[in-house]
Amino acid sequence: MKRAEIFEEVQKIFRKVFDDEQLEIKDSTYSGDIEDWDSLEHINLIVAMEKRFQLKFDIQEVGELENVGEMIDLIERRLNGQ
Amino acid sequence: MNTYKYENIYVGLSHSFQVRVDQKEQDSFSNITGDVNPLHRDVAFAKKKGYEDCVVFGMLTASYYSTLAGVYLPGENSLIHGVDAKFLKPVFVGDTLTVEGKVSEKNDTYKLLIIKASIRNQDGEKVSRATIRVGVLE
Repeated sequence: MKRAEIFEEVQKIFRKVFDDEQLEIKDSTYSGDIEDWDSLEHINLIVAMEKRFQLKFDIQEVGELENVGEMIDLIERRLNGQ
Repeated sequence: MNTYKYENIYVGLSHSFQVRVDQKEQDSFSNITGDVNPLHRDVAFAKKKGYEDCVVFGMLTASYYSTLAGVYLPGENSLIHGVDAKFLKPVFVGDTLTVEGKVSEKNDTYKLLIIKASIRNQDGEKVSRATIRVGVLE
């Protein structure tokens, strides 16, 4: 899966988790940009991504993510078996 | 109270309990929340709106989802993250409710359970259903 495709899927997940069809994410988007992005919603995001991409993350690696771009990079790496 | 650990919980594990909703619970809920809507407190008003009696607060019925997670599944180690509840049919004071939940998913990364739950009245009618997201504390 190409990075742009992953980005589109992640965009859908964000919209679903935050109940906001207008939500536009960028690589630089971080928790401070979305009012409802707290620790519980972060869990919901990661759980939804694990399910969508059929991946299992390590709690430490997802805890270190700084923004959406790093999240997508991680998914891309994992999908490529790295 | 149950004391399940995450690793001892499996998809399909279920628990249920019964509870009778009395006027005392209805009054307590109204006092705690300040919800004094007459549908729940005035029989004449409720009948005028087409109900046989005062309707139990939907959120009172849904509060038993807290009991389901906090006492039964997983019990002591429960940390509720969220509840998506639907109110399907009215509940009346004096109804005996059976609250049931079954683990439908587990997420190992966050030790999180997805529980599909429902509440039925004494006639077996489903009055509510919910999806409960609950973490299992270490």
